[in-house]
Amino acid sequence: MKAPPGARLLRRHLSGRGPALRRLAAWSVLESVPVFAAGLLLARALDDGFLAGRPGAGLAWLAALGLLYLCGAEATRRVYPRLAAIVEPLRDSLVTDVVTASLLRAEGPAGAGVSQVTEQAEAVRALLGTALRNVRQLLAAGVAALLGLAVLSAPLALAVTVSVALALGVFAAFLGVQVRRYRAVVRHAERIGESGAAVVEGLRDVVACAAEDRAARTVGASIDAQAEALRAFARSRLVRLPVLALGVHLPLLALLALAPALIVGGRLTTGEVAGAAGYLITGLQPGIILLVDAGGTLLLSLAVILGRLAEISAGPAPTARALPAAVPASSDIELDRVTFAYSPRAAPVLTDLSLHIPEGTHLAVVGPSGTGKSTLANVLTGLVRPQRGTVTLGKVPLPDLDPARLRDAVTLIPQESYVFAGTVRENLAYLRPRATTAQLDEAAEAVGLDGTLRRLGGYEADIPPGGGSLSHGERQLITLARAYLSPAPVVVLDEATCHLDPAAEARAEEAMAARGGTLIVIAHRISSAQRAHQVLLLDASGAIAGTHHALLDLSPLYAELVGHWRS
Amino acid sequence: MVRTEPPGGAGAPPVPGAPPDPVELRAAGRRLLRAAARRTRAWMGLLVLCTLLRVLATLATPVMLGRAVDAVHTGDPTGSALTGLALVLAVAAVADTGEDLAGAYCGSRITAWLRHRLVGRVLELGVPGRRRFPPGDVLARLTESASGPAAFPVQLVSVAATLATTAGAVVALGLIDWTLALAFAFGVPPAVVVLRVFVARAGEPFADYQRHQAAITTRLLDAHQGIRTIRAGGTAAREAARILRPLPALRDAGHRTWAVQGRVSWRLALLAPLLQILIVAVAGLRLGEGAITPGQLVAAVSYTAMAVGAAALFDTFVALLNCEVGAGRVQEVLDTAPAVAPAPRPVALADGPGRLGFRNVTVRIGDRTVLDRLDLTVPAGLGVAVVGASGTGKSVLVSLVGRLIDPQEGRVELDGVPVAAVAPPELRRAVAYAFERPALLGATVHDLIAYGRPEATRADVRRAAETAAADEFVRALPDGYDTPLDRAPLSGGELQRLGLARAALADARVLVLDDATSSLDTATELKVTRALQRLLARRTSLVVARRPATAARADLVAWLDGGRIRALAPHAELWSDPRYRAVFAAAPGPGA
Repeated sequence: MKAPPGARLLRRHLSGRGPALRRLAAWSVLESVPVFAAGLLLARALDDGFLAGRPGAGLAWLAALGLLYLCGAEATRRVYPRLAAIVEPLRDSLVTDVVTASLLRAEGPAGAGVSQVTEQAEAVRALLGTALRNVRQLLAAGVAALLGLAVLSAPLALAVTVSVALALGVFAAFLGVQVRRYRAVVRHAERIGESGAAVVEGLRDVVACAAEDRAARTVGASIDAQAEALRAFARSRLVRLPVLALGVHLPLLALLALAPALIVGGRLTTGEVAGAAGYLITGLQPGIILLVDAGGTLLLSLAVILGRLAEISAGPAPTARALPAAVPASSDIELDRVTFAYSPRAAPVLTDLSLHIPEGTHLAVVGPSGTGKSTLANVLTGLVRPQRGTVTLGKVPLPDLDPARLRDAVTLIPQESYVFAGTVRENLAYLRPRATTAQLDEAAEAVGLDGTLRRLGGYEADIPPGGGSLSHGERQLITLARAYLSPAPVVVLDEATCHLDPAAEARAEEAMAARGGTLIVIAHRISSAQRAHQVLLLDASGAIAGTHHALLDLSPLYAELVGHWRS
Repeated sequence: MVRTEPPGGAGAPPVPGAPPDPVELRAAGRRLLRAAARRTRAWMGLLVLCTLLRVLATLATPVMLGRAVDAVHTGDPTGSALTGLALVLAVAAVADTGEDLAGAYCGSRITAWLRHRLVGRVLELGVPGRRRFPPGDVLARLTESASGPAAFPVQLVSVAATLATTAGAVVALGLIDWTLALAFAFGVPPAVVVLRVFVARAGEPFADYQRHQAAITTRLLDAHQGIRTIRAGGTAAREAARILRPLPALRDAGHRTWAVQGRVSWRLALLAPLLQILIVAVAGLRLGEGAITPGQLVAAVSYTAMAVGAAALFDTFVALLNCEVGAGRVQEVLDTAPAVAPAPRPVALADGPGRLGFRNVTVRIGDRTVLDRLDLTVPAGLGVAVVGASGTGKSVLVSLVGRLIDPQEGRVELDGVPVAAVAPPELRRAVAYAFERPALLGATVHDLIAYGRPEATRADVRRAAETAAADEFVRALPDGYDTPLDRAPLSGGELQRLGLARAALADARVLVLDDATSSLDTATELKVTRALQRLLARRTSLVVARRPATAARADLVAWLDGGRIRALAPHAELWSDPRYRAVFAAAPGPGA
């Protein structure tokens, strides 16, 4: 049977940690040696020492035990750096993995899912840390105690082992219920994140609608549901009662019930009874209790959370290409009867669209919203694949291109401008990381960013998370300067100037056109069309392409749009 | 170097991400946790009762065990001793289980309460609150910081139980033989010293750790806003590296938490067994002298195990620290006073035509004065376009009307009543907003439109959508108005029209359109403008205008310049002024 995805994920992230794990295991064995010896030495100290009237011998046995504990403590001291050496790199690689996966995934989760991603990676660190620290220690002690008991008295050890095995059986039998209920806890916690994100991110709208109560109720419902799930999970933990009875209490009672017969038969001494009781109380009992309490919850949490993370990082990773990637001969773009729909049920957004965009063209795409302008941008940049028809770049179909080469050849600047926490320079040089200051100056001047740049305080000024005081227009200027700097021969502006004043828009668009290469403008204003060599009008009834003047004659809709703009 | 505006600014609370004082943070957390615990008294009572029973049964167990061992040693019948032992073991187990259940009930209620309060306060803090607590930070506090304190009741009671068990065990040792208690007393002071050192210093790395973790979450949320750029740019790997930039600091804090735990743990690991050996040695000598029985020696070993169980306090303290830090991070939000506070004695807003007045209004954001002693009167029933170069505070001005933000000085009046004196819900029923990018609130398209008016009928919602030219595309969605938002493929322009529909449904006396048609391309705007004329007719409206055509349609233009109203006049009159025309041509950015 294949291991569950969570276990495989853990194994993958622990690979390379083998030596650290082995060292940890070795120190754990050393750490549990004193527990193993404790009962044996105690029995000797009593039987051969204190009870035999030789206190010196008793003290000597105890001193030997003390020495063993000193070695054990040294082992404990050495365990912590090993723990950190396993757990911290694990967190690093897990966080790196899930962050990367969440960026690569085609359908990313909403804000909530995103925040959960890092938290779940974090939870794995905390849980594994605790597991390695406590569960490891106590389980080792439990095993050492059973081994010690076996050396003292084999029949007793057998009785105890059977009882403990029964306890573990009961525990295992109810594990399914516990896993289900714990999963519900995690799921509800995610819902809190999702509903919370919608409200927190839409706070301005909530306040403006005076809908604070409603928003609080929505998030509140998921908060209460999670609390109830926590309680249901707690109820499933009642199974600990029989487990404790079988795993801890019954063995102790069995020891004392069997002892008189064993002593009479000469197979056990008083000192050995004391030693055996010591094993059960200080060795086995904490181990079982921990397994039932923390261990159960801990392993469950680990399993459930690792499973969730495995789902996230198992998203469609960029697949390695089998064929040698083709090289485009030019930047000519050709669409041949392209049809695209967002789902099989939905009406197609683009239907049988054919279009030739020779290298160096300045094309404007106009039309009412909902006619597939943004979809066209996605198709041209290879972000979505049409159901029918082909898109070629320099005669090579986009799917046959090496993705990296496609990204180098085509730059898309979407309407929602992406400005991130970092310096202005990092934001501008996003698509040309080695851009010189002179190049930055040129780009800033060309698109009209210079004023904003002065206000911000130059290229090294920091932009805080969320963009800080930058207006929407300023953000768009930054992304336009970014596109200007991009080495790609094809630039697609998807309403990337909608927050600019018409004059600023004209300046930026003209700068982009003067930069050379192909410029495709998904037009926000009809004025963009007047500046372009070619205009593509998308409408519910179909697509028409031509020059501005040709379309004025050909299309009444186009003429109406131009007329409205001029009014 | 002039930096971009720091969130907060001069005299404002610390910027997000600045490390709060860990001691204060924990003290604040403790106060909040106490208040939370008081709210779940009945379950706390049951928790305490179960713990008490468990402690008593646990303390009685070694006595019973000792008796049984003595019976075995002397060859007496073991029946009654075993029955007694079984009884105390059973009581201990049942009480222990009850403790777990009661603890979970208390803990889940405490966390839920913290979360309810946090959400409530974030909603009260409103728009200005986002400067200090950005969405990623709030979500980290809601999901992570608030969940830790669920362990608080159990941990707190377990501290008391551990202390009681330790004390009881020491007393029991003394009752078996006074020398045993004396021997134990020698081992305790070192343990106390070690624990105190730890508690005093441990908070810092843990708080650092949570802060760096929140920094990563914030960056990741940011990147997801720009996911299309990232995917089209093929820059996912570089983005990941940027998001993960706080990782080394996180790792560093992580290593420090382990180091802190390690320094204490090995000393405790040594302390406990050595103490046990000491007790056994003393008990063994007394056994040789006949002062105690073998059963009592076994009992003494048990009691010593219990007494050194105080070492487990170490883990409990770590857990309590985490609870306090988590609750402290919730309290940080609760302690923040809303910048837009409701009036203590709200004045009713009588029906009125919707006359707006701005009196001597000053707004500073960070250290920048955006509006400077601005005066403006908007006559009732008129449409006013707010015109100004980018960055002159058009959005800030219109935000004042519905108190999305408050001015530092001056006041805003609606029909002669200061808006600050009106209860916010009442004010916001009188002032409706439509934004450039409406948030996706509610479950379905219907919900989104009716978010502010859940009682609206389907016909009302449909009429509002028609007004905003949205009805047609909504009906084309898979399930029409009932299409879930996460499955409705909405373009920016379509979303904006849903926002307009929401404002139309509000039927308020003042309508504020803050860039609400900016995402509409020329073609769609043509449709929406016609529809909006009906909505705006005979209603006071403030429209942030970027296009001359929008300004031309308004009755009056309020020309915003240098933090004040430069002119209030019809567009046609102003158009002759070249400086006015320059506003529409100006590149964004002040100083341009």
